[in-house]
Amino acid sequence: MSEPKEIEYEYSRLVVPVGPIHPALKEPVHFRVTVRGEEILDVDLVLGHAHRGVEVLAQERNILQNLYLTERICGICSHTHTTCYAQAIEEIKGIQIPERASYLRALIFELERMHSHLLLLGVMAYEIGYDTLFMQIWNMREGILDLFEEVTGNRVHHSMNVIGGVRWDLTPEMASRVSRVADGVEEARGRLQVAFMDRTVEKRLVGVGVMSRADARAHCLVGPTARASGLTMDVRRDDPYAAYGDLKGDYSLVVSDGMDAQARVDVRIRELAESINIVRAILERLPQGDIRLKESPMRTVKVPEGEAVSRVEAPRGELIYYLRTDGAEGLRRLKVRTPSQANFAGIRKMMVGGELADVPVILASIDPCMSCTNRLTVVDEAAGEQRTVGLEELRRRGT
Amino acid sequence: MNVVVALAVMFPSVFVLSLLYSGIDRKLHARMQRRVGPPLAQPFYDFVKLMNKERIIPASASPSVFVTVTALAAASSILGASVLLSNLAAGAGFVGDIILVMYLVLMTSALTMIGGSSSGNPYGAIGFSRRVGMLLGYEVPMLLSLLMVSYRSGLTLSYYDMVTAQSLGGTVFMASSPGAALASLVFAVCIPAAAGVVPFDIPEAKTEVAYGYLVEYGGPYLGLLKLAKEATNLTLSLLFFTLFVHVPLAFPMVGAYNVWANLLFMLAGTLAVYFVTITLPRTLFARVKLGQALRFYVWVWAVSLISAGLVMVGY
Repeated sequence: MSEPKEIEYEYSRLVVPVGPIHPALKEPVHFRVTVRGEEILDVDLVLGHAHRGVEVLAQERNILQNLYLTERICGICSHTHTTCYAQAIEEIKGIQIPERASYLRALIFELERMHSHLLLLGVMAYEIGYDTLFMQIWNMREGILDLFEEVTGNRVHHSMNVIGGVRWDLTPEMASRVSRVADGVEEARGRLQVAFMDRTVEKRLVGVGVMSRADARAHCLVGPTARASGLTMDVRRDDPYAAYGDLKGDYSLVVSDGMDAQARVDVRIRELAESINIVRAILERLPQGDIRLKESPMRTVKVPEGEAVSRVEAPRGELIYYLRTDGAEGLRRLKVRTPSQANFAGIRKMMVGGELADVPVILASIDPCMSCTNRLTVVDEAAGEQRTVGLEELRRRGT
Repeated sequence: MNVVVALAVMFPSVFVLSLLYSGIDRKLHARMQRRVGPPLAQPFYDFVKLMNKERIIPASASPSVFVTVTALAAASSILGASVLLSNLAAGAGFVGDIILVMYLVLMTSALTMIGGSSSGNPYGAIGFSRRVGMLLGYEVPMLLSLLMVSYRSGLTLSYYDMVTAQSLGGTVFMASSPGAALASLVFAVCIPAAAGVVPFDIPEAKTEVAYGYLVEYGGPYLGLLKLAKEATNLTLSLLFFTLFVHVPLAFPMVGAYNVWANLLFMLAGTLAVYFVTITLPRTLFARVKLGQALRFYVWVWAVSLISAGLVMVGY
């Protein structure tokens, strides 16, 4: 008589691979979603498909070249990365940038936040099958991209920052153009809020991907994702950089207690209004003066040995740069902690217990940016394993 | 015109018409989104291109089922619309043809489901189970509405008799009584689900299940399945226009001229129905979840039963 089989098969359990190529994802990431029917039982996240070795590359180039390298970490928040990088270098070198430059940095920052939030809202509409809204929102976003081209010369990689200031000045004609675009976005924002309060949209977002305040804190979430769970945190307010110290009275922090995907969308729509307020305040109070140091760029390369941590509030949350210079035009170590990297920690918590149909919605609601994120996990394809670079290893490579 | 001859003429016409209507749908959809949109002939280009592509059968699929269903689905969906159009052109029909048409429509989606689940892809399996859920929601109310038309037309099961019954009665079915109006409404809200467009494109939601049962299909197989879907959309719109809102022009006197005039009128009306029941919903709404869609169809069931009751007692 044969032994009775011990193994119990669960036929209803199905592992659904989401990504790295999937219509819901614009960038490569791989989820292994275990479902029973439509219910999500477990989620496993595999990053690393867009690993480009930026941090190692940065150690091979000089300080000026790295400005352009860090810009290319992200195509959506390129100004955020260069600002964060330039701030760190300026801190090591002990440079105080002109006041007008810091205002201009903040201006581009807020325009970038507006276009990034519009991008996410469009993606969110697309994820729930609302293509019409998606097209309309991205149409609005075009206005801001055109504005970038006019002000900085480029739509995506603006190259606005130099070490010690900004590259281009804002002429009065440009300022009036910026203000017109801000008016346009403000008007469109009202319509957007109505569209996202539509019943069919609400049905897809309310109660989806719930992240309680305590969980958000425990998982170290950042940015709008954290603010939608009731955490009041914003680098612009907590650790002002650029001109944000002077602009404190011109905007308020958007926090919501909704804790679900709807709240995360809502926070971003309301932040659009705050960004418009900041842009208007900057246009009103833009100080006169130089936009960068008079020093030639070739001299800015010479930075003494030292280390600095710089952080800014990217559209997706807190972005942290750690860098250490080698005293000879180069970097010994560059470490980037992007906001998406922090927010990925919350993905599993948000998804488990939800429905398969919620996966794209939850993913979009944290507004992940894969290209920014994929620099930490090492995937060893030959051995078929993946590991995370630990603190020890980082220290070893840093010295 | 002989029914057989008409059928032979209509089969290729339906092929052209369903692609053309899909082109018009895409153009209008794009214009409403402030896009330029593809040229009207885009579905034809797509079809030709897909037909010339490599045939790929996934290793995990059962090849015979995977391949056969595509041709069967395309043939049965085109046949469905051809039967309707040829009956109208020939001015005749056979008893039970409406049942045949509904069978062919159901057959098309059943075949697509089977093909998807035979691909061995988990998305195909999810698409299958989602589609089964949707079928439970819309299929019965839809049939019940047709049954009401049949009841009103003197319990006939011939499509042509049901159409002409409206001319004889002097009024369109939809406006003939409150019960009939409700039955028409039920059929109309079932069309987006049967056609598989937003908000009810749940089985093939691209951002959720990567086109569901279509996920592994490519090349000629995908071309045939897309054609099947487009022909089904045409069939559903044509059915709704002719049976529920068709304003009978000159049906009692079928002359050579009138037949073609009628057909043209009918195709224009079908396009209007196509626009209202397929293009508009997919432009105006976001996709709902399966549970939410089924809750909606519970209401449709209720309305459907009420309308049946009303029609039965003569309202």
